[in-house]
Amino acid sequence: MATVPKMPKSWRVETKPHKFCPGCGHGLVLKALGEAIDELDIQDRVVFGCDIGCSLLAWDFFNVDIVQTHHGRTTPVMVGVKRARPDRICIAYMGDGGGYAIGAQHLVNAATRNEKITAILVNNCNYGMTGGQMAPTTLPEMKTETTPYGRDVEETGYPTQGPEMVAAITREGAYTARGTVAKVRQLKNYLKKALQNQLEGKGFSFVEALSGCPTNWSTNAKATWAFLEENMTKYFKVGEVKVPVKEEE
Amino acid sequence: MLRGRAFVYKRVFIRIKYDHLLIREGLRIREGQERIVEAYVGEYASGKSEVALNRALNLVQRGHQPVTLVDFDLVEPFYTLRPLQKELLKQGLQVLTWETGKVIGWGETGTLLKPEVRWALNRKGDVIIDVGYGVAGIGKLALLANIDECPELKVYVVLNMARPLTASVVGIVEYVQTLGTVQGVINNSHCGDDTNIELIQEGAKVVTQAANILGLPVIGTTVEQRFAEQIEEYDVMGNPVFFLERQMNRYLW
Amino acid sequence: MAEKPITDEKRVFMTGNEAVAWAALAAEAEIMYGYPITPQNEIMHYWTRLAPKYKRKFLQTEDEISAGFTTCGGVLAGKRAFTATAGPGNVLMQEAMSMAEMMRIPTVVVVQQRGGPSTATVIYSQQETTLTCFGGNGEGLRLVYSTSSHQELFDYTIKAFYMAWKYRFPTFVLGDGYQAKMRESLYLYNPIEKGMPLAESYPFLGQEGRPGVEREPSHLRNTYNTEEELYQIISGYVEDYERMIPEVVEYQVSDLEDAEIVVIAHGIVSRAAREAVKVLRQEGRKVGYFRPITLRPFPTGKLREIAPKAKKLVVAESAQGQLFKLVQEALYGETVPLEPYFKPGLGITGEELVEFLQSNFGQ
Repeated sequence: MATVPKMPKSWRVETKPHKFCPGCGHGLVLKALGEAIDELDIQDRVVFGCDIGCSLLAWDFFNVDIVQTHHGRTTPVMVGVKRARPDRICIAYMGDGGGYAIGAQHLVNAATRNEKITAILVNNCNYGMTGGQMAPTTLPEMKTETTPYGRDVEETGYPTQGPEMVAAITREGAYTARGTVAKVRQLKNYLKKALQNQLEGKGFSFVEALSGCPTNWSTNAKATWAFLEENMTKYFKVGEVKVPVKEEE
Repeated sequence: MLRGRAFVYKRVFIRIKYDHLLIREGLRIREGQERIVEAYVGEYASGKSEVALNRALNLVQRGHQPVTLVDFDLVEPFYTLRPLQKELLKQGLQVLTWETGKVIGWGETGTLLKPEVRWALNRKGDVIIDVGYGVAGIGKLALLANIDECPELKVYVVLNMARPLTASVVGIVEYVQTLGTVQGVINNSHCGDDTNIELIQEGAKVVTQAANILGLPVIGTTVEQRFAEQIEEYDVMGNPVFFLERQMNRYLW
Repeated sequence: MAEKPITDEKRVFMTGNEAVAWAALAAEAEIMYGYPITPQNEIMHYWTRLAPKYKRKFLQTEDEISAGFTTCGGVLAGKRAFTATAGPGNVLMQEAMSMAEMMRIPTVVVVQQRGGPSTATVIYSQQETTLTCFGGNGEGLRLVYSTSSHQELFDYTIKAFYMAWKYRFPTFVLGDGYQAKMRESLYLYNPIEKGMPLAESYPFLGQEGRPGVEREPSHLRNTYNTEEELYQIISGYVEDYERMIPEVVEYQVSDLEDAEIVVIAHGIVSRAAREAVKVLRQEGRKVGYFRPITLRPFPTGKLREIAPKAKKLVVAESAQGQLFKLVQEALYGETVPLEPYFKPGLGITGEELVEFLQSNFGQ
């Protein structure tokens, strides 16, 4: 028993072990999120929405109220909940396809309207659930099922820089950061700050989490971490992109 | 290349000529003081189009020429004077409105201002303007060219107490105050086919009370011809009664 | 709650879109989500004008996909939420409505039909009948009320909230651009004073109490693991739906007793049909009238009772056979001939129906 890592209090024990693939980064993101929820003591106020794709496997993950929506539509569902019940802490949980492709208009507009919700986007450079196709975040030259010769940026453009985009279109009060499952403590802090931002009603908060997808990357543990820590972080800079100005300043 | 340039010259030339014409007409406007220029504003279904139309036809019947009725409804250009245009022309009224089929995608392309309407105040003779309702209220009139040089312009608010937001003295006062400067109010209380004389007279009371608070004159009460036997020259509040012949109800909208 | 929007019953004169906004207020709808599209815009215009006075809310979304899903979110949060749309917006709305169908989210959507397909016209049609009844990748487990007047727009919008929450099927009020823009008188009333119950809303998410400690967490999904699991879920829904049918199905009939020809029409076309029947009856013609008010569920039972007594059924609609299909399905196995009168995207008047019916009597 002593060797089993401690689960966040807000996790739902009955649904563990979870259903993500071995080595998948989702578990780590959700662990960081669970800890952030615990530390802020908001378990009874959270409404968690999850997208289609691998993120839907989180639909029974927590002892919080959860709704699984459609691909790309978690953001508007959470916006709808938050507008109707401003006392709830609404989290929209999605993948890179859901946030940057099919649901991009919702992310952009929720950010522009400074909706008081927290969006968490897991970036693993591909569409995992559907079998590893190119995602908006697939790296240049990276091979996927729909870029069998590597992503040609001339033809398919460059990977989406999500937090930077969100930072560019939001105004005062928004929080934007990019964390990685390679630094879970840092990621937890970002998530906590994002939720805190919502608690304080300051504005939209957005955290992208770099994550591994060994199943579709066909990588072993060592190669997964190497890809995550070298290839991905070279392109996607980890850190806070936009932090609301403190009132005392 | 040469052809293109010739084309440009031609356009410029026409433009100058056109502007010249406008200036001449503009001067004439300032000379002729008896000219009637009236704008009718009000909520959807207040009956402003009906009142404006009847007023314009009435002027024609009284021998005024020319009389131009201007469809300045930018909210619902589709549903107002459009279907009546041809018939009104026959009755000697000039009508400025979009013609069916001439414009694609009304309501979809946004609200559309017909260029002729923009210059409507420069026209000779009487000009009666039916102003579509929107949050800008009579602020919309700023779109009309030379509005500042048209002292004869009178803006009248058409009020229908069968409309919930203008069903009470307080409601009318609040509503009229949102519109900007106006010169008078008209009681056009009606309920379409279900109008009765009690509603009209009740409207006269409420509108008159509101007008007193607003410090505005009641121009009159407008009443459908079919009530001619039930109301005299003046309503219960002593406002003059004008009879209307309904034109708009002949169309589905 | 702030003061009541409507206290005493009163006769008013307004456009259909305004009637919808007042109805939503009267039904104590709490929030509207919407995206501009003609001809439903004034529903939003009036709602946004009135909502702050009565402490109601509004959100203008980025598109109709979002309007549909935010409406789902508002309802999941326990509020009487609604949206309104038309044409291409109704197409986009269907994705969210299929989620509402699967998750039994009691959304209310007001549709003011415009011409189709594509952008077509902003004016009028009855071409969104099939879409509104059966849109989405599902079984059409919805309630669709087709209105024909401003009074009905008011009555059925109020009713839609109640029925949606009572049976938990997405509910639609199907109007059209003519109804949206026409001016007509109607009675506004407070449904509570008329003894009509208000929709009882409750949260599906975000209930009181710490989840997992004081109560079970709400875990809602629309994704299922196996065919068998899905089949079981849908079968249960279908059972609920079929049980609901006799309680909700509505229609209007007249002059059926000895009718040789029965005109079938819905929505605003039913006004023309009613008028035509009146005129022809005065001429001594044996003509009757049938109007489904609920298009989903369709009043199949009543129609099957009428059909064998008639020599012919005339189906008139401003679409190319969308109502006709519903009628055909309802009458499967009956031998009475069906005569189409289709005018896709075009209004139908009483006069033209009189003429058409006369020709059907062999004149």
